[in-house]
This record gives sequence, C-alpha cells and structure tokens, in this order.
Amino acid sequence: MADSGSPDSEPTTRTLLRRVLDTADPSTPRRPRSARAGAQRALLETPSSRRLSSQTKTTARRRSQRIRSIGKLAHVQASGYLEEQTPRTLLKNILLTAPESSIVMPKSVVKPGPAPQVVQPSSRESSRGSLELQLPELEPPTTLAPGLLAPGRRKQRLRLSVFQEGMDKGLPLSQESRGNADASSLTSSLNLTFATPLQPQSVQRPGLARRPPTRRAVDVGAFLQDLRDTSLALAPPDTVLEDTQPFSQPLVGRSPSVHHSLPCPSHSGAEDAERAVSHRTRSTGPRLQNNSPGKPAQLLAGKAEVDALAMNFPNTSSSIFGEVGVEPLQDGVGGEAEERTEKSLSMSKVKEAARARGSARAQEPEGHTQVTEAEGSQGAIETKEPEGSSGDCPTSSRRVSPELASSTPEFLQAKRIQGLEPAPPPSTAVLPSEPLEPLSARLPPRARTPGPKACQNPYKTGLSHYAKLFSFYAKMPMEKKALEMVEKCLDKYFQHLCDDLEMFAAHAGRKTVRPEDLELLMRRQGLVTDQVSLHVLVERHLPLEYRQLLIPCAFSGNSVFPAQ
Amino acid sequence: MVLSTTVSQRKHIKRKAPRGFLKRVFKRQKPHLRLETSGDLLMHLNCLLFVHRLAEESRTNACENKCGIIKKEHVLAAAKVILKKSRGLLCAR
Repeated sequence: MADSGSPDSEPTTRTLLRRVLDTADPSTPRRPRSARAGAQRALLETPSSRRLSSQTKTTARRRSQRIRSIGKLAHVQASGYLEEQTPRTLLKNILLTAPESSIVMPKSVVKPGPAPQVVQPSSRESSRGSLELQLPELEPPTTLAPGLLAPGRRKQRLRLSVFQEGMDKGLPLSQESRGNADASSLTSSLNLTFATPLQPQSVQRPGLARRPPTRRAVDVGAFLQDLRDTSLALAPPDTVLEDTQPFSQPLVGRSPSVHHSLPCPSHSGAEDAERAVSHRTRSTGPRLQNNSPGKPAQLLAGKAEVDALAMNFPNTSSSIFGEVGVEPLQDGVGGEAEERTEKSLSMSKVKEAARARGSARAQEPEGHTQVTEAEGSQGAIETKEPEGSSGDCPTSSRRVSPELASSTPEFLQAKRIQGLEPAPPPSTAVLPSEPLEPLSARLPPRARTPGPKACQNPYKTGLSHYAKLFSFYAKMPMEKKALEMVEKCLDKYFQHLCDDLEMFAAHAGRKTVRPEDLELLMRRQGLVTDQVSLHVLVERHLPLEYRQLLIPCAFSGNSVFPAQ
Repeated sequence: MVLSTTVSQRKHIKRKAPRGFLKRVFKRQKPHLRLETSGDLLMHLNCLLFVHRLAEESRTNACENKCGIIKKEHVLAAAKVILKKSRGLLCAR
C-alpha cells in the first residue's frame, strides 16, 4: 500500500484511492491510514495549502462518505485522521487525476451517501465535471462550494479554466496558484491533475472526449492567425490575377508567358481579339477568326500587341470561345447573311489590309486578301475594294501609315476610330488602338455597302467562293492578282462546263441535264476512271448531306434513296 | 446546312455548295436547258475537283519557280493546262 502510495505519480494516488476504496470495507482505518500515509508521504513532499487541505477535507468527507457506504465509521475516523494534509491532498489528487472514476464512482458511491454530504460531493463532482467539461462551468460550481476550499482553490480552478483557454497561461497560472496556494507542487500537481484527468477521462469515457476539444478556442485563434497569414499569402496572387488593367506591368510580364502557353491559333486569335476587342461581340467573332489566320505573324511581331494581349487576354480567351461558337453560326448563316457578313468581313479585311504594315510588308495585304477569300467569306475583296471607295479612301490613307495589322470588329473599330481619327499615324504602342479606331469609324458607313454589293455581284460572290477554295487547296500564300486570275479561270470553266452538259444532254436527246451527263463529263475529264468511280469522288469531296443525296442507299422497307 | 468542317486550319472553309449560284449560272448560260436536283451537286463536285487540280498545278508552278507565294503567272500557266484537260468534248482529243 505504501508502495502504492509512492509519491509523485498521480495515478499512484488514484490507484491508491482505488485500493483504499477496495480495502475500505474489510480494512481497518489503519489501512487507509497506511494508504493515506503513503499518500501523505507523497503529499508531504508537496506542501499542501490550507485551502487544499480544506478541499481535502471535503474530499476526505466525500471519501469518507464513500467509505461509509462501503465501510464504517472507522473510515470517518480515518477521514478525521486524514484531515491532515495527506487526505486532502490525496483526495484532491485522486479526484483530479481520476476524474472519471471520481465522477462515476463517487456518484455511485455518493448516492447512498447522506444528502448534506451529497451537496458537497455534488459540488465537487460538478466542480470536477466542470473542470473536466468546461472551465466556465467550473466557476458556478466553485461558488457553490464556498467553504470547502479556499478561494485559491477556485482561483486555481478559474485559472485552470484560463489555462485551458491558453496553454501559455497555464504555466504562469499554475505558478500563481502555487504562490497563492502555497503549494506549488500541489498546484502544479493540481494543474497536472487537471491536465491529466482529461486524458484518462477521454480514454475511459469516450463520450467526454468531446470536451477537450472545447479548448480549441486557443487553437482557433492560432488557426485564425494562420488563416490570416495564409490569406495574406494568397492576396498577392489574387491581386495580380484580378488586376486586369491594361498595360499593367505584372500582366505584361505574364502576357508573354500566357502568350506562349496559348496554342498558336488561339494565340493569334487572342492577339487579334485583343486588338479588336475591348468589347467582344459575337459578330466580331468571325471577323476575328478571319483575321487571325492572316495576321499571326504580324501580330506576333508586335511587342505592343503583347500589352494589348495582356489586358485583353481574358477577353480574348472568351472571345476566342465566342469565336469558336460563332464559327458554326457563321457557316450556318447561309447565303442570306453571307453577303452581309461578307461585306462586313470584307470591309474589315480591307481595313486590315490597310492597316497591315503595308509599307514594310507587301505580302500582308495579299495575305489578307488570301485569307479573306480562303476563309470563305462570300465578299470579294478585290471587288469590294474599288467599290467601297468612300470607305477605301481613308483606308488607303491608312495603308500608307505603317500600322499593326489587327482584326477589328466593326464596333471596336468604330470606337477606336472615334478616338483615333485625329490621331496621327501610330507608334507601335499606339498601333493596336489606332487602327481599330479608324476602322471602326469606317465600319458604319461600310456596313451599308456590303449588302448591295453582294446583290450586285452574286456571280462574283460565287466565284469568290471557289477562289477561296482554291487558296485553301493551294495551302500557300497567294497574291490578289492570282486570285483574280483564278476567278477568271473559273468563269471560263463554267462556260465550258455548261457547253459540255448541253452537248451531252442533246446527244441523249434530252433537254434536261441529268447526273448521268455530269458523270460522263467527269469521265471525259479523267476524273472518273475505271479505278475511281463517281461515288468514290463523291465520298471524298462532298459532305455527308450531299453524299446521301447522290449515292443511292438502301433503306428499310425495300426502298432505295435516291430512287434510281 | 453543311457547316464548315472545323479543322486545324484557321481558315474555316465552307463546304456548302452554292447551289443557287450554280443553278443561276447554268440558267444564264443555257436558259433552254434544265438542270436536275442532283445535277448541281455534281456540278459543285466538278468545280471542286477543277479548283483542286488548278491549285495543285499552281502550287507546282510556284514551287518550280521557288516562290513562296503563288503568283498570277503561276496561276495562268496552270489554268491553261487544266482547262485543256477539262475541255472534254470541245477540245480535240
């Protein structure tokens, strides 16, 4: 027993208490005395304050109650004997160290105990529970037990609550408690006991394990601080990302990286978009697309473009997407809108050509024209250039001035033109904005022309369609004159075609040209051979919709479409 | 109806056949004749193949002259050859 009462170890006290309880019944008061003597020894090592002693008294009474429940008055005597420091400290420590057992066991033990005593133990228990549960709760229970312990005890508990709140304060509080309680070791032990009970409590009673987390208030504070730190750390990139202001240096620094990150086509498109688009519009999408292919080289060369790219990058990315979405729309528009779009596109393209650094690069306008044709816009630039005299005059004047080639939608051009018309020919930095503005000014007047032009020259429109296909098949840059030549050849070709068809139909005694005539023509031309049939060519070059119309296919119900 | 096939090319080519245009052309050339529905599609196919051959020939000419771009002369020379090929009945075989 004495060994169990070996000092310093709180669990030893607990075990000691347990043993005491166990031995309470059969044992004589001596045993507990011995046990408590051992505890006394342990306690003697740590001076106990009077307050503690008072506590121990109460605890001793409690213990005495327990013992009574288990044992007899001998325990009371023992408790009386224990009124010395040892029992108080012992009980204190025991209760503190083994709160679980103290709570449960004392409750079970206390129940049979007398009512008055129950108050104290209840207070004790509540105090203990409060200690274990939450420190603030301790305060009221502590108040409930007025005479039990010196206020230092409660203060200690209060301090312990504070200690719970802040681990930092715990040590000084414990020290203070020591000073107040005159039992540094006790207080420390008390603190320790307070500390330890939590752990064993959690172990023994998992349900109570939640309580310790309540102390996370401190951790939360630290966590908040950490959050602030992290937020501060995050702030800079956010600010950088959010900084979409044009010509912002950080963006500029990034723009090249962004530049390179983008794929070339989108990149060029982005460049185009950024020049053209401070305000993206769907209509501008196709133009941007059209312009982008023609001007990647030009765009890439300009550093100023990078800045514009930087600021307009977010716009461009979205614009690119918009462009992609618009592409099918553009194609789906059909012949009706084609002319209009062609006009606008041609106008924009002309402007682009005007803006192109024509002085430095003669190919650009050609490339633009080629691009414009190749893109499939129905408008013929060559025809429109002379036609749009009113619009072309300013464009021609612009041509002279070296400017960055930029695709600009009508809107953008209009806006920029308003601002830049008075502006002189641009410097590289100003280039992106300038050409756009003048173009924008021209666009509104040009908007009217594309419509009537398309109507006036539907033949040209059709020819230009095939001319664009020519440039597409050639996969090489072409001159404007070459495209004009292509259109002439096409014209001749159509004449020959019609004549041949007429001859074939007449040879067959028909006045209607049938597909058989066409097939014969192709065979004569050497396109259709014994190895290559017409259907093969149809499948090769025509889209699915046309293939379905041309090649008879068997359908359900024993039907063939088209009917042969 | 036929949307341009999106390809890696930046230029989006319209695969749509200008059927109205072709019909109008034929009507202007031969008003006394009629053209069937599928006829204009095959006409379009013929035009495509013609343009294709013309482009190939032009590119060949340009490459022979070691030019980076196709010039008018190249196209002219190519057209002569291809048109002759496409004559069909009219040209002497």
